[in-house]
Amino acid sequence: MLRAEDLTFAHPRQVAPYVFSMEAAPGIVTAVSGASGAGKSTFLDLLAGFLTPSSGRLTLDGQDLLPLPPEERPISLLLQSESLFEHLSASRNIALGLPAGTPRHEAAERIARALTEVGLEDIGPQRAATLSGGQKQRVALARTLLRNRPVLLLDEPFSALDDETRQSTRLLVRNLTERHGWHTILVSHHQDDINALASRHYRIVDNRFVLA
Amino acid sequence: MSFSTIGAPSPSRVGSALPPRPIRIIIGTALALAIAGLIAAVLLAILSAASNEADSGFSRIDIPHLLRMTAIQAGLTTGLSLAVGMALAWCLNRLRFPGRDLVVGLFASAIVTPGMVVAFGLLSIWGRNGWINQVSEALFGTSIGNPAFGLSGILFAHVILDGAFAARILLARLDAIPANRLKIGQSLALAAWQRFSVIDWPAMRGTLPGLGAIIFLLAFTSFPIVLMLGGGPANQTLEVAIYAAVRQDFDLRGAVLLALTQIGVCSVVIFAASAFAPVPTALGHSSAPQWRDGAGARALQYAVLAVSTLGFVLPLLSVLLDGLSAGMAELLSRPAFWRAAATSLVIGGVSAVSAVTLALLLCLARAASANSAMRTLLGVPAFAYLAVPAVVLSLGFFLLVRSLGVNPGVAARYVVILGNTLLSLPFAVATLGPPLDAIMRTRGKLVRALGLSGWRQFRLVEYPLLGRDLGVALALAFCFSLGDLGVIALFGTQDFETLPLMMFRALGAYRSNDAAAIAALLLIGTIIAFTALPRLFERLAHVAR
Repeated sequence: MLRAEDLTFAHPRQVAPYVFSMEAAPGIVTAVSGASGAGKSTFLDLLAGFLTPSSGRLTLDGQDLLPLPPEERPISLLLQSESLFEHLSASRNIALGLPAGTPRHEAAERIARALTEVGLEDIGPQRAATLSGGQKQRVALARTLLRNRPVLLLDEPFSALDDETRQSTRLLVRNLTERHGWHTILVSHHQDDINALASRHYRIVDNRFVLA
Repeated sequence: MSFSTIGAPSPSRVGSALPPRPIRIIIGTALALAIAGLIAAVLLAILSAASNEADSGFSRIDIPHLLRMTAIQAGLTTGLSLAVGMALAWCLNRLRFPGRDLVVGLFASAIVTPGMVVAFGLLSIWGRNGWINQVSEALFGTSIGNPAFGLSGILFAHVILDGAFAARILLARLDAIPANRLKIGQSLALAAWQRFSVIDWPAMRGTLPGLGAIIFLLAFTSFPIVLMLGGGPANQTLEVAIYAAVRQDFDLRGAVLLALTQIGVCSVVIFAASAFAPVPTALGHSSAPQWRDGAGARALQYAVLAVSTLGFVLPLLSVLLDGLSAGMAELLSRPAFWRAAATSLVIGGVSAVSAVTLALLLCLARAASANSAMRTLLGVPAFAYLAVPAVVLSLGFFLLVRSLGVNPGVAARYVVILGNTLLSLPFAVATLGPPLDAIMRTRGKLVRALGLSGWRQFRLVEYPLLGRDLGVALALAFCFSLGDLGVIALFGTQDFETLPLMMFRALGAYRSNDAAAIAALLLIGTIIAFTALPRLFERLAHVAR
């Protein structure tokens, strides 16, 4: 279980701090919504380690995550944009999810498997810049598979997608979450994304989480 | 700055969102044509002099040798400056320490630091009687010779200036990397070398061809540094040879041939550079997360930063120490100094205001135009002056004035102001053009929807948003003119001299105390102008908001 307890943070000159408490179970998607400026991205940055809370606890199955720098947290990220390095091929982007020194043949095999799992068998050599929005998000998910981290943070990942791609990508996220037992946290202000994916839904009201 | 800004994407993508501004376009077009006409007149004067001057057959000018020497030093300068610039930008992007902003500001000022001040500082540190030799003799009883003279000295001085300039430009690229890209990289735990190859290098590499071309041109046309540190004919370059042909050998035909060679090479470099893809202009910083490299990489970064900062700061520090402690009082008591100082300030001030006014009118017209051919017409003449170096421009004006039957001595003041204005123009256009384009791209629809007039658009939208850039353009132009030796070198007389010319003459007459004091004053003037003017304009613009 991923658990945030009174995770407190205030930006400079912010009068009332955010105080976040929530739980996210494995194998399901937990959604976080709120108005613009409510603190959704701040919450994700706190989980990912890009911001440091002034107090509170963040644990995964009892392990304290707060002392860990972002690169050591058991977390993968999928953002609305910039999830891929556009000048690299899809394969090279995915390979960044593998530990350094992975033998070449093993890397190629695992990349191919990951691409198959996200339904993109043939696009490995293609440069990320030439991929569609939906393909980019799937490639980023393939990299997440190789990283094999138990927590997946999604920051408005479907916002730039058309309806059809949006539905198929949502389905993929849900399937992968269930299959791999990820603690997936979806930050979104799109109610249909939340309805389609989330088993549990928190809203941010007055800088705190409220179970919707 | 990049030549590719000439052909940068126009705001035409927003199509009818651009408010119609015919008066701006007419004024800009008229100015662009006038500038192009002036270039044509200068070139014609040079060409006609080449055909009219009798070939005495005694010219000692060896153009292939000069071309080879110039290309070698410019090529080496470019390669070394880019390498130093990349390393330095990498370090500054990663490290956070007290005084970092000051160090970044110091490197940013490299572009306006007068070459002759740096050359003088290098002699103080690395010259025969410099600090390093004094320490070496005291410690080891032996001298390290005189590395400040010859090719090594020229390269050293150029790399100090151009490497710092490159670092500042590349640092802006690194600082503009989107925060999301860094977050992904950090969460992937990329090692320092992976981070450089996957994130930093792609952010910098698009800038390198244009930046390399600018550095090559700056080095190819460098005048005071080669004049002071060249150490003889073996290391002479085209620019210095032109000066020598006119002022020392009276070989006008030789000077004209050299000028044509120089213009030809510079034009080729500019056209080659403009073929590269446009470099996106970074506006503002990304709110990047703090992401430190490993201990080994950080140790390397601190070492590179320390060596580079010392290499840049020591010569300037020595200029200040030598200048302020030596003959300053005596210099200040001389009427000739005050005349030269007043001349420098007037020429610098008038040239800077003229250059910024011209650049502003050209850039406003370009931002208002949706037609890419028109945008090129409005941009090319200003940038063409990069192909016509200071001494060549000065020679062209000299010939033009002479062919019109005007005494060059009478025209000198106006020609020097005009020359400095035109030489600063590319830098002013490169500073003001991208932000004005961005303003139109992002606020054109609103301006049009509100039905603002051209004047209200400038007063309420463009001027308040442009404030600091106007100050930067003004400071650049003022500092270039204040430190110029190339234009004044051919027109200067005993009664008409600027501080750089006075310093050069003091060096030639072995009055090194005078030269040191003038170098210190030039450096102080440059620092004050470069730090104060952008802040002043930022404040003025803030008041206008």
